[in-house]
Amino acid sequence: MEQTQTGKIHLSRLKGRARAWFSKPANIILLFFLVTLTVLTLYPLLSMLTETFTVHLGREERATKLSIGAFTTYHFQRVFATSANDYSWIQFYKPLLNTLAVSVTSSVFAILFGGVVAFLVTRTNLKYKKFVSAVFTFPYIMPSWTLALFWETFFKNVNIGLKTSNGIMASVFGVFMPEWFVYGFFPISLVLGLHYAPFAYILIGGILRNMDANLEEAATILKTNRSRIIWKITLPIVKPAMLSTFLLVFASSMSAYSVPVFLGSPVRYYVLSTSMKSLMNSYKGQAYIIVAVMILFGVAILMLSQKVTNSRKQFTTVTGKSGQISKINLGKANVPIAIILVIVLLLVAIVPLVTFALESVIIKAGDYSLSNMTLDFWIGTGLEKRLDQGDSTGILLNPVVWRALGTSLALAITCAVIAGTSGILVGYGVAKRRGSRLSNWVNSLSFFPYLMPSLAFGAIYLAMASKISWLHGFLLMALAGSVKYLPFASRSGVNAMLQLSGEIEEAALITGVPWWKRMLRVIFPIQKSSFLSGYLLPMVSCMRELSLFVLLVPTSDTILTTMLMQYSEKGWAQFGNAINLLIIIVVLLVNFTVNKLTGASIDKGVGG
Amino acid sequence: MPEIILKNVAKRFGKFVAVENLNLNIESNAFITLLGPSGCGKTTTLRMIAGLETPTEGRITIDGKVVFDADEGINLPPNKRDVGFLFQNYALWPHMTVYQNIAFGLENLKWDKNRIRTRVNELLKMLKIEQFEKRYPSELSGGQQQRVAIARTLAPGPKVLFMDEPLSNLDAKLRMEMRTELKRLHRDTDSTFVYVTHDQLEAMTLSTRVCIMETGVLQQYAPPLEMYNNPANLFVADFMGNPTMNFIDGHIKADGSIEFGGIKAKFAPTSGSQPGDMDVVVGIRPEYIHIDEEGAMQGTVYSTLPSGMETTVKLDVNGTTLTAVVFGDVDYDVDSQVSFSFHKAAVIFEKATGKNVAKGKLIV
Repeated sequence: MEQTQTGKIHLSRLKGRARAWFSKPANIILLFFLVTLTVLTLYPLLSMLTETFTVHLGREERATKLSIGAFTTYHFQRVFATSANDYSWIQFYKPLLNTLAVSVTSSVFAILFGGVVAFLVTRTNLKYKKFVSAVFTFPYIMPSWTLALFWETFFKNVNIGLKTSNGIMASVFGVFMPEWFVYGFFPISLVLGLHYAPFAYILIGGILRNMDANLEEAATILKTNRSRIIWKITLPIVKPAMLSTFLLVFASSMSAYSVPVFLGSPVRYYVLSTSMKSLMNSYKGQAYIIVAVMILFGVAILMLSQKVTNSRKQFTTVTGKSGQISKINLGKANVPIAIILVIVLLLVAIVPLVTFALESVIIKAGDYSLSNMTLDFWIGTGLEKRLDQGDSTGILLNPVVWRALGTSLALAITCAVIAGTSGILVGYGVAKRRGSRLSNWVNSLSFFPYLMPSLAFGAIYLAMASKISWLHGFLLMALAGSVKYLPFASRSGVNAMLQLSGEIEEAALITGVPWWKRMLRVIFPIQKSSFLSGYLLPMVSCMRELSLFVLLVPTSDTILTTMLMQYSEKGWAQFGNAINLLIIIVVLLVNFTVNKLTGASIDKGVGG
Repeated sequence: MPEIILKNVAKRFGKFVAVENLNLNIESNAFITLLGPSGCGKTTTLRMIAGLETPTEGRITIDGKVVFDADEGINLPPNKRDVGFLFQNYALWPHMTVYQNIAFGLENLKWDKNRIRTRVNELLKMLKIEQFEKRYPSELSGGQQQRVAIARTLAPGPKVLFMDEPLSNLDAKLRMEMRTELKRLHRDTDSTFVYVTHDQLEAMTLSTRVCIMETGVLQQYAPPLEMYNNPANLFVADFMGNPTMNFIDGHIKADGSIEFGGIKAKFAPTSGSQPGDMDVVVGIRPEYIHIDEEGAMQGTVYSTLPSGMETTVKLDVNGTTLTAVVFGDVDYDVDSQVSFSFHKAAVIFEKATGKNVAKGKLIV
C-alpha cells in the first residue's frame, strides 16, 4: 500500500520533471537535432562501415567468388596488406604519404602566408591595407579548383603531363616549366596553401585585432625589445588560434579533391581522395575503407584541436583600450613590402580571372593574337558549322546553361536556408544548455559532417538514397548539401549565441513573449550579421561545390559545376573556361551583394 | 625623485584635438591625478608621457632628460623612459603564470636568476599573493589580478609610475581597500605617481595635486583641497565634490550687493577684489548651508537622504533648489519649514565666462 503510494508520487514527480524539461524550447530543439543528425550522419556512416565488409556488384564479386552482399574481409586485405604488384602501396600507402605531405606543407604555407599578412595588416602601418584585406579573401571565395585550373592552363606545355597543348607561359613567353613545377606535390601544396591562406588570415587576424594592445604595451614599458615581444607575447597568445587553424586547414587539404585531380592525376600523383575516387567505380568496399581512414584522421584532428583550445592559458577576451594601439612603423621597408604583396595578390586573385576570360575567347589553343579571338563561345550561334566542339550556341544563349545556373542557385539557396536556420537553432540549443551532455552531443554531431570528405559524403548519401525510392535528384542534393554545410552554420550560430547573455532573452521571457517571437524579434536582430554569415557560407560553398554533387547529379548538365567538369572532360576548353568564369562571377556577386546588403561576410564563419 | 615637465604639449588625431597646449609641472615624489570626464584627453596625456602615444607638438622632460621634443625630433621609446605603467584592464599575459608575469621585466634587465627569485618573492609577499605564484591569470579574481599587475609594474623599481584608471574594474569595497594601499605604496616606493581617473573622490583622497581637464584643455592644476575650496571655474567647481556645489544665477552690483534666487545679500570678498556690476553664478558648497533655528532664510524641505554619518537635504527656496549637508544622524520631515544660513565662503563666477572672479562671505 505504502509502496504504491510512493510509487505514485515518484511517477507524478517524474511526469512533472518531464513536463518541465519539454517546456523549454532549447531541450526540444536539441532532442530534435540529436535524432535528425544521428539519422543523417551516424546512420550513413555506419551503413558505409558495413559496406567495407560487403561484396558489391562487379569486380568484387568475381575477385572474392562470393555473392553480392556477403560478408568479406577482402577489401581490408587489399587496401592494407596486398604486396602483389605493390597494390596496397600504390592504392593506399603512397597516396596516404602524399596526402600527409601535401596537407602538412599546405597548412604550414597557409599559416605562414595568412599569418604574416594578418600581422602586417593589424599590427603595422602597411600601405594599401584596404586593398590587401579586400582582395586577400578572394581565393577563398572562389572555387578551390580555380587556382589549380589557372596553374595548369598557365604553365602546361607539350613536354609534360598529358602533353596536349601549350599554356600561356610556353606559347607566349616561350618558357617550358619542368614537370615538378606544373604537376604533383609542389603545385598541389602551393595551390591548397594559397586557397586556405585567407582562412588563416581571417582567424589569426581576428585574434590579433581583438587582442588587447595593452598586453604588448605592458611588455614595451618593461623594456622588452620588439623581437622578444613578438616571440614571447604576441605569438604565444596567437598560438591556440594558429594551431586550430593549422588543424582545420590540414583537415580541409586532406579531403580536397578537385585540386589534386587537376594537378596530380595527369602525372599519376595520387592522394587519398583521388585514389578513393578511382576505386569507387569498381571497388566500392576499398574506396569506403579509404573514406573511413580519412574520417579517422578528421576525428583525431578535431579532438586535438579541442584539447589545444581548452587549456588553462586561455586567451581572455577582456578588451581594453585597444583602439589606441601604436602600430609598428615599417619605415623604408613599407612600400616594397606593400608592392610585393599587391603583386602576389593580383597574381593569385585577379590574373586567374583574366586568364579564364582570355581562354574562353580564343579559337585555337595557344594562339593569343587578336585575330584568333571570338566571343562566339559566349554569345555565338550556329557554332556547329564553324567550330568542332560541342554546343551550337555560346553559353549565354544556351538554355541548358541557364537552366543549370537556375538549379545551382536554387540548390544553393535551399541548402543555405536549411543549413543556416538549423545552425541558428543548434546554436541556440547548445548555448542555452551549455555544458550538458545533450548539448555536447548535438554540438559534436553538427560538426561531424565537416570531417567527412565531400566526395565520400556524396558517395555515402548515394548509397543511402538507393534504398529510398523518393530520395533522388534535387531533393537528394539539397539534403546532402544542407547536412554537409551545417557545420559552417552551426559554428557561427553557437559562437553568436554564446556571446549573447542569457538575460537578454530572459528579459523578454518575463514579459511573456512567446519563444518564436523572442527568436525573431530579440535574438536574431542582435546577432544578425553572424547569423547571416551562417546562411552565406553554405550558400557560397554550395554554389561552387563539385565533389559533393558529382556523384549525386541525375545528369551532368544539372548544375553548373558538374557541367564545367563535363566540358573539361570532353576537352571543350573554351566553353569550360567560360562556365568557370560564370560560376566565379556568380559566387563573387552573391558574396558581395549579401555583404553590402546585410553586413554578413565570409570572414565570420569557419572555412572548408 | 624625478620631476616631469610638459611644455605646450598637444595631440591631434587628424582634425580631432585630444589634448591642446598642455603645460604641466609634476614635481618629484608627487602623486598627481589627471581628472576629467571620459574623452577629456587624460589617458592620452598619460600615454604621451609614457611614450605609448606620440604628441603632435611640445616637449616632455622626465628627470631632467628630454624624452620628447617635436621641434628637435626627439622621441624616446617607452622602454628607454624608465617608467612603470599600470593598465586599466591589468594586461596580464594570459599564457604566463603569476611568477612569470612578474619576472618578465626583470629578465629583460638581464638580472640573474637568484636575484629575480628574491625580488619576485618580495613582491608576492608585499602584495599578499604568494599562494598564487603558479596560477595563470584566468584563474585569479579581479582583485588578485590587480595585485599581480601592480607587482609586475613595481618589480623593476620604476621611479615614475603611471596608472590608468587602475581601480575602475574592481568592486566598491575592494576599490576602497586598494586606494589605501596605493597611497601607502606611494610613500613606501618613494616614486612619482601619475594617476588617471574620472572619479573625483579618488582624485581628492589620493593625490597631492589634481590636474583637471575638459575636452583636451587644462582647467586647473592645484592641490585637491585648494581646488575644492577655490575652483578656477564652473566646470571644476561642478566636477569636484559630492554632492555637487549649489549654483544659483544672480546679479552683483559694484557696491557688493548681490541678489540670487530671491535672496538679497551683501558680498564681502576674502580673496580677489570686489567684482563690478555683472551677471554671476553664485557657488555654495552644500556643507556651508547650515540648517538651524537662527538662520535668516526660510525654505521648505523637499527631500532628505540620511546616511547615518550625514544627511543630504534638498531645500526649496522661492522655487530654487538648494542642497545642504547636515552632519550627524538627523532627519527632517518632508515639506516642513526650516531656517538656514550661509557659512564660510561662497564663490562668485562670472556668468558669461564661467570664471571664478572672487571668493568671499555672503552676509544676509
